Amino acid sequence: MSASVKLEYVSYIGNVLLALITGLAIGAIIISWGGYDPISAYRGLFETSLNIADPYYLAMTLSYATPLMLTAATFAISARAGVFNIGAEGQVFMGALGAVVVASLKLPDQLYLPMALLLGILMGALWGLIAGLFKVLRNVNEVVVTIMLNWIAYWIVEYARIYVYYDRYRPEKTISMPRSGVLPVLVPGSELSASFIIALIVTIIIYLVLWRTRLGYSIRVVGIGLKTAKYAGINPGLTMLYVFIIGGMISGLAGALEICGRPPTYAITTGASNIAGLGFAGISVSLLGLNHPIFIIPASIIIGALNAGSRGMQIRAGVPLEMVKAVQGLIVIALAVPGFTYMLRKWRIRKALRGETGD
Amino acid sequence: MSSRELVVLMKDIVKVYPDGTVALRGVNLELKRGEIHGLLGENGAGKTTLMKILSGLIKPTRGEIYVKGKKVSLKNPAHALSLGIGMVHQHLSLVPVFTAYENIVLGLKNMKPGKTEIEKLMDSTGLKVPLDEVTENLSLGVRQRIEILKMLLRNVDVLILDEPTTNLSPIETRELFKSLRSLKEQGKTIVLITHKIREILEITDRVTVLRKGRVVGSVETNNTNSRELARMMVGREVILEIDKPPVRVGEVALEIEDLHVMSDVGGEAVKGVSFDVRYGEIFGIAGVEGNGQVELAEAIAGIRRVLKGRILLGGKDVTQLSTRERYSMGLSYIPEDRRIALAMDMSVAENSVLTRIIYDKTLVNKMGFLSFNEILRQAMKLVKEFDIVISTFSSPVRTLSGGNQQKLVVGRELSREPSVILAVQPTRGLDVGATEYIRRLLVKMRNKGKAVLLISSDLDEVMGLSDRMAVMYNGRFTGIVDPRKVTEEEVGLMMGGYSIEEIRHEVN
Repeated sequence: MSASVKLEYVSYIGNVLLALITGLAIGAIIISWGGYDPISAYRGLFETSLNIADPYYLAMTLSYATPLMLTAATFAISARAGVFNIGAEGQVFMGALGAVVVASLKLPDQLYLPMALLLGILMGALWGLIAGLFKVLRNVNEVVVTIMLNWIAYWIVEYARIYVYYDRYRPEKTISMPRSGVLPVLVPGSELSASFIIALIVTIIIYLVLWRTRLGYSIRVVGIGLKTAKYAGINPGLTMLYVFIIGGMISGLAGALEICGRPPTYAITTGASNIAGLGFAGISVSLLGLNHPIFIIPASIIIGALNAGSRGMQIRAGVPLEMVKAVQGLIVIALAVPGFTYMLRKWRIRKALRGETGD
Repeated sequence: MSSRELVVLMKDIVKVYPDGTVALRGVNLELKRGEIHGLLGENGAGKTTLMKILSGLIKPTRGEIYVKGKKVSLKNPAHALSLGIGMVHQHLSLVPVFTAYENIVLGLKNMKPGKTEIEKLMDSTGLKVPLDEVTENLSLGVRQRIEILKMLLRNVDVLILDEPTTNLSPIETRELFKSLRSLKEQGKTIVLITHKIREILEITDRVTVLRKGRVVGSVETNNTNSRELARMMVGREVILEIDKPPVRVGEVALEIEDLHVMSDVGGEAVKGVSFDVRYGEIFGIAGVEGNGQVELAEAIAGIRRVLKGRILLGGKDVTQLSTRERYSMGLSYIPEDRRIALAMDMSVAENSVLTRIIYDKTLVNKMGFLSFNEILRQAMKLVKEFDIVISTFSSPVRTLSGGNQQKLVVGRELSREPSVILAVQPTRGLDVGATEYIRRLLVKMRNKGKAVLLISSDLDEVMGLSDRMAVMYNGRFTGIVDPRKVTEEEVGLMMGGYSIEEIRHEVN
């Protein structure tokens, strides 16, 4: 890594800190406008998320970081190929549905977990593949296709939850994963399970794919310029298709892990509320992590901490849930701004290099 | 004609671009009312820059502009338009989903002219356009008429056309010229930027020839001929002398049979070209840029689709094979633009294997991972052998200077042990030292028995390096000649669209 690149990262971290302070400050104004004490609200937030003294809170932070890390990896690998893939949301739905389908089957005990993860990955991959085919074969804008597929996946999951895989005794949720198909919980009493470790390994694998394999090399060349890719003998369409499929697999896995690795329900709940929003939150995480798999890990923990701490804000400072969500959203947006401008600048430079913008 | 009123006077115009390129070195130009004035010159002569200055698009570094006797300082194109100067650019700027009528009146603020008014104008000028048709369904010729009508409705007196016939069929060209003549009758001044000598002779009243940012001469078209214009355009310069031992040609390495290639704007960019390149020779293709050279190169590399014809590499038909397969068969390709040949945001090390990564198994270890050692070894070899100045192997290529970027591209392509080297504009934008270095490398490859296909718009380069050369014009070859047995005047005429047979026939 050259000195100039290092300097770029240092200035980036400075920008993120500035954004964090700005977000917190505006949040504080909103909290005091609502008649609450911002200091105690923020103390509640941090004491229930990044509190080293109590492993429970830290574990909750990491458990919230788990799916975000994966959906962020989906966005990141796509962005590296120059594709604005926001389909992680729908792929998470399909992956969770895949795990629930396996949970509904009569299987030998040891098969539940591998089958659930496998079907989740496959269904996510299928959802990615559909988007990829539209993009590559018909040149339909990926943003449009993935948004539509997100909604289709949502309603498929809702239909399946209400009419097909509902729990006979608690019809507001689906069938739960049988005990034998559940991942071990790492910190007793918390929601942190071995899925965090799986997510960590997968994210590192994505890093290795991007920077240490021929496919990753091709992905990055495609992201830099289609003309350059063609010149290098790389097939841009095929490479993009791989990116959509791999992205779908990662987010499908994220969905399946929410079923196999999140106590206490191990199921999809009312309105798919426990799996909704994970894909979109992953975009902010990826932007915060500069679309780099390794930087995504700390980024997902930061956003995970905001999620975990929202309860502490409610309970300890009495701030109502709606306001907590508003402040939380504000901070997330503030954090994503530097990464987003960073990406835009890179893309603009690239377009200028390709001669797509004016003289 | 000299008694006619002066509409525009440009005096001592100098233009230096921010990157230090000197485009114009003190140019004077006079435009008279009711004349068609040709601006002739090769690429980079400064024709377009000069007219962009007159139309207010860019500002001159020095110099004065007088419009109808009054000194002006043009602020922007709208300002120039208000003074009656309008330019139709080579790349048209119309809204594709608008109808012709909507495009014509787009941007007119006060009262939009009705269709009958435009139809009257179309009748008087012969510029016929289907007003209710959506623009994207119209041919390029018709779109150009829309642009001209747009200018006329804004009451321009001076109409500038930049290479207007590039994408036109011969019939469309004839119709355009007819309209231009009738505009002239109505007292308009027309500036025609072109490199086509025939067109200059056919339609202009006066012609100003530019070369490397200077005016070579300004003459009445009636008092000149194609030979004189060719000589003025191409000029005579010191050709870089490079020692070349006599050619020892071997077998045919690359064979092109009646090749037809698609252009980006529809239609054919290459319209039936046949030639072969043998081991141990440099085959040069000269010509003004935009006559199908880039498309020809891209077709040979497998990047652009071939409509008709065959490409044979080492005797094997590769027309249907992928770029990857052609590279692995020993084809090296130096494209015309190093921003295509390099992944600018990726490192020097990674870029040193850009064209090998897809087929070379030595770059991948048993685990399926890229071998960093192997890649770094390759990068170190290139940097040492080709004297490339870098900061570190992991710094992005965009941090390198243009010359070093080009050395990296050329070095990479020549060190792949190619049998056929396809080099397009390999020295464009480089300083004298780097230019000579790369030219010597190409000759060295030839001496080592490689087949080199050199495509360049730099005539000195092609004539100085090639053993045989062709001139490309409008998608075809105007001739294949021995560069030692042809005069620059003849090459100039070939570049301007005359075939070698026509030129030699005329002599006898």
